[in-house]
Amino acid sequence: MKRRARPQGWLSDVDPTASAIGSTAAVLLTAAIYAGSRGLRNFDAALIGYATATIFLAFGVTYRYVVWVQSPPTRRYLVKGWKAFLSWRNFRRFPTLVPKAVVSNLAFQTFIKERGMGRWAAHQALFWGVVGATLITFPLTFGWIHFRSAAGTESHYEMYIFGIKTVTFDALSWLGWLTFRGLDITAVLVIAGCAYFLWRRFRDREAMTGQHLAHDLMPLIALVAISVTGLLLTFSSALLKGRYYDFLALLHMGTVVLTLVFIPFGKFFHVIQRPASIGVQIYKRTSLEDKGPFHCKRCGAAFETQTYVEDLEETMSELGLGFEGWAEHCPRCKRVERGIAYRAHVKEGF
Amino acid sequence: MMNRTLFIDPGRCIGCQACVAACRECDSHRGRTMIHLDYVDEGNSAAAMPTVCMHCEDPVAPCAQVCPADAIPVGPDGIVHTAAKERCIGCENCVHACPFGVPKLDLTEMLQYKCDMCYDRTSRGLSTMCATVCPTGAIFYGSYEELLADRPHSRASDLFGFSDSLVQTGCAMVVPAGRESVSVPGGYV
Amino acid sequence: MKGSRRGTIEKAPGIGDFRQAGAQPAAGWTTHEKDERLVPTHCCFCGVQCGMYLRVSTDGRVFGVEPRDHDINKMKLCPKGVTAYQQVNHPDRLTQPLMRSQRGEPLRPVSWDEALDRVVSEIRRIQETYGHDAFGVYSGSSMTTEKTYLVGKFARVALGTANVDYNGRLCMVSAGAGNKKAFNVDRAANPWSDMLLTDVILVAGANVAECFPVMTQYFWAARDRGAKLITVDPRETALARTADIHVGLRPGTDAAFFNGVLHVIERDGLIDERFIAERTVGWDEVRDVVADYTPERAGNICGLDPALIEKVARMWGEADKAMAFHARGIEHHIQGVGNVLTVIDLVLATGQIGAPGKGYGTITGQGNGQGGREHGQKCDQLPGQRSIDDPEARSYVAQVWGIDESELPQKGLTAVEIIHAAEAGDVKGLIGLCNNPLVSMPKGNRIRRGYDALEFHCQLDFFLSETAERADVVLPTTAWAEDEGVTTNAEGRIVKHNKATEPPEGVRTDWWVICEIARRLGRHADKFSFDSPRAIFEELRVASKGGFADYHGVTYERIEETGGIFWPCPSEDHPGTPRLFEDRFFHPDGKARFTAVKWIPPAEEPDEEFPMRLTTGRTVAHYLSGNQTRRIGALVEQAPRPWVEIHPSLGFANGDPVKVVTRRGEVTYPALVVSTIRPDTAFVPYHWASPAAANDLTVDDLDPTSKIPEFKVCACRLEQGAEVTVVPLPPVEPGKTPYSDEMGSTDDRRPPTAPQGRGTAR
Repeated sequence: MKRRARPQGWLSDVDPTASAIGSTAAVLLTAAIYAGSRGLRNFDAALIGYATATIFLAFGVTYRYVVWVQSPPTRRYLVKGWKAFLSWRNFRRFPTLVPKAVVSNLAFQTFIKERGMGRWAAHQALFWGVVGATLITFPLTFGWIHFRSAAGTESHYEMYIFGIKTVTFDALSWLGWLTFRGLDITAVLVIAGCAYFLWRRFRDREAMTGQHLAHDLMPLIALVAISVTGLLLTFSSALLKGRYYDFLALLHMGTVVLTLVFIPFGKFFHVIQRPASIGVQIYKRTSLEDKGPFHCKRCGAAFETQTYVEDLEETMSELGLGFEGWAEHCPRCKRVERGIAYRAHVKEGF
Repeated sequence: MMNRTLFIDPGRCIGCQACVAACRECDSHRGRTMIHLDYVDEGNSAAAMPTVCMHCEDPVAPCAQVCPADAIPVGPDGIVHTAAKERCIGCENCVHACPFGVPKLDLTEMLQYKCDMCYDRTSRGLSTMCATVCPTGAIFYGSYEELLADRPHSRASDLFGFSDSLVQTGCAMVVPAGRESVSVPGGYV
Repeated sequence: MKGSRRGTIEKAPGIGDFRQAGAQPAAGWTTHEKDERLVPTHCCFCGVQCGMYLRVSTDGRVFGVEPRDHDINKMKLCPKGVTAYQQVNHPDRLTQPLMRSQRGEPLRPVSWDEALDRVVSEIRRIQETYGHDAFGVYSGSSMTTEKTYLVGKFARVALGTANVDYNGRLCMVSAGAGNKKAFNVDRAANPWSDMLLTDVILVAGANVAECFPVMTQYFWAARDRGAKLITVDPRETALARTADIHVGLRPGTDAAFFNGVLHVIERDGLIDERFIAERTVGWDEVRDVVADYTPERAGNICGLDPALIEKVARMWGEADKAMAFHARGIEHHIQGVGNVLTVIDLVLATGQIGAPGKGYGTITGQGNGQGGREHGQKCDQLPGQRSIDDPEARSYVAQVWGIDESELPQKGLTAVEIIHAAEAGDVKGLIGLCNNPLVSMPKGNRIRRGYDALEFHCQLDFFLSETAERADVVLPTTAWAEDEGVTTNAEGRIVKHNKATEPPEGVRTDWWVICEIARRLGRHADKFSFDSPRAIFEELRVASKGGFADYHGVTYERIEETGGIFWPCPSEDHPGTPRLFEDRFFHPDGKARFTAVKWIPPAEEPDEEFPMRLTTGRTVAHYLSGNQTRRIGALVEQAPRPWVEIHPSLGFANGDPVKVVTRRGEVTYPALVVSTIRPDTAFVPYHWASPAAANDLTVDDLDPTSKIPEFKVCACRLEQGAEVTVVPLPPVEPGKTPYSDEMGSTDDRRPPTAPQGRGTAR
């Protein structure tokens, strides 16, 4: 009997649980938009395309996430990771573990630096560009934030969050400039990052091995398209006195909507997955303290934690693999044992 | 067993590590060697054995099955690829679930690497780097028919016994004629 | 991209370190070249001369290797071959001449003019004061035949010194002398492809799997076709591991063993009487000598079960077709020539030569070990493997060179003798190139004294070797990929190395340097007006014409077309001669010569004080003195340091610091405890420098004929040591940080996993 591998990131069969949770997420987001925009009073109707796409995105990402965490290895890490994270005892023992991991793994992705400085710099530009753009645009499209020009001034604006007036600022000041040019800055960052990665995708044979148009090139092209059309909007309003603005706005919205809908299916899903690495780190670190390291059954070298090996064996048996015991030997010993057995039972020499 | 695949014959291996050096030359992972070369009877023999990914067919890719991040793609051609860089979270499940001891992990990069049968070469019809340079034919790339034509007294087995379970693989190991129907022991028997 | 282990993120436990840190090439990796050229060439290392392509970027940088389907190696490469290209852009490369005004001062960079003027003025001063022969040239065989030819001509014509020799004297020269005596020519008799036609292969004193890994495929292919394999070696090497018969004899007893085998063959009537009668001379004397070597007596000398000798004799004697190979294991002895002759006697007595699948050959160790000894850089030979004593040869070569025969010096001192003469004050000045005797010559202390006693020493190299480091002038020359020229592999096949890249700024080719010194010296300066390797080769073709190693019909173009031509090749329409002796041997009467050899014990036999035998050799990751391979990350990682290989019965544990003591010195190595070595023998690989050098321990007694040192056996004592001797980093010019420092594995104190090195981690 051949067992099939789990589907690699595509929705093969519709999962009812995931559908239900995904729909709930979409409904919740809709409700939040309604409430946050004060019953749609602050909602900019021109941005309805974005908001709708985001609601679909909420469904898709949640659906995909639920399917993902249901597999035995993922579920086990999810549960163990959260348990370790929420443990007060762990917090007292390793107060800096989580903040450090969040900063180095999620914010600054230092592990990418080890793969190459260029890749790290490009990924950082891309990352901060996207994060900045998301923080600016999502609340705007949801109507959670809006601006009004302050009465009686020429360049002063008032910012409203959830319909509540917060600060007033001068659009000509550097803060004002930053606020209104924020998306231009993030667009430049994103284009710079993508340019590097596109170069890599076309020139570097390391990156080119096994790459796919849909999986590896489309995401980069989509991000560049969003950024370029976004910058064209600024170009139109600043230098062309708004000519072609409507057309460009539509084009921009088109690229954004397509990209948002694509997120759950492709490469961008790693953004949702990456925090799991923190869970794994906490889990491994705390389980080392709890039950100690695991020693290879053959050579005696410590190679993982006791808990880890037990959990992996459970995962393997849930998957019906049938050679769980092998996990108790370090990789080298597994190979050496196989070599010894080959010499003893298959043939010794030539 | 795949159509064109790797055949491993530890009996011919002289342990020179040309495969290890050549593996680093592969453009898809320059500077990192995916192949293992172990001296399997330390102190008693100069015997050595190379280990490449066997590309398990049944159960299909245990490494991919235990991956919590769906990071290890299995191609329609049966090639079990190295972990997708954006997905791998460095948990090491694949490293320890693999019954052959194949995947490697670089903790600082939080990234798994494994032999992908030189996908950058074999997908273009070339032989793998290790088999191309192997001075002894301990690593052979080609079809079973080609192997038999070259070595009339050899056969190959793609069935391995681990505990009570059998693993059928895409790559194969050379066995003496007459032994091809029995599984190759995966460790102590 | 350059990986590293400098990660500081908070690590979860697990298996992290897989081999990569030390394995980075010094020039980093490139995976994004837009276009690449593949330049066909051959490896710079051993005598197999594997074909390979160098990957060259559009801006002319060598950045990788690609297998090449050449007749010799059929795409196969060993770890040295795979990483050879990493020398080309290596940061340790010498890029400017270095000089010191007197010993003890550090080397400082100078201009080429200043350096060459100093060399020339010192040559003049020394030769005027002490005579022509007081200035010697010591060369090597890891460079192209054009260069080795030029060295011989330079010494005789420009310097007028008799004292020119080369490092093949430390390599296979016993085989050369033995072959010359038996066949009157020094070349392997068969192409290796003959192995596919044979029934029995005997390998004596050759760790083929480590020293010539790619040659192993011929052995395996022969065995796939049913051939039997016999190995003779004190260690059960990777080749011996699977052999049908492995003879683990005591080092230094080869002649007794082969005489014993021949004794049984003669006794049992397995000799080829017709062959002996028709094609050989001198059998009777050999028969009388081997009559004394009963299996019991031979077994007693060799430390073997007599039954094993009978078994080998039967397997060889009953074979329809058989081939014998040997290498340094039987050649590095004071009876090196004798050992070789006993193998040849065995081959001749059974008629196993001069036909398809029947043959014999030495496996030359150096890249151009064959070509480098054929064209006149040996102290006793002129181009074409002609003897310098032969009046006819002298007058022919003198005429080619355009000098008077009387100007041509006579036979001079051999390699080790030159350095010993320096110690004695007879040789005052020396130009050295393509060698590193401070690591490779026996009894290191004496060699260091010899070099220190020189009034002037100039060394050419592309890395600062341990020898160059002590020189007065160091001239930076090209690596193999930066120049073109031919080499001749261990089969006698002439192949061509092609130029893949321009040399770094400030680096010159060896031939340019030699010609430039000759030009500045002024003596027959017009005879050194070569402008390319091709020009030198054209002269070499003429100089070798009519000689034994006749290259006259070989051209660069023909080599490119054919994938290699076997000499002798007297004319351009001659196909070359892959198999020798099919009709006649090279003696005037066409017959081969038997030589009766009586076994003599090694120069230093074990006694109460030094009860063990010490033998030395190579490991697969390194080449000769290690000046090249000790700088390549992957190879250093595989074998970072030397060790002593000993039998478990001696009571040491694996990894113990074991002090190896001989009458010459002592070094403490980590013990690699293996049951594959004789209990009475210890083995140390020789690629590393003093104070960890194996050659700090060896004896410097020489074979009386070939003058080869007895590297393969001396007496030693093993003691529990305190600290393992630290391996010094390979030298670099003052002010540079050695790349090896970055690799961080040179202070490794552990033994390897196996003789072949350290297995991949985890």
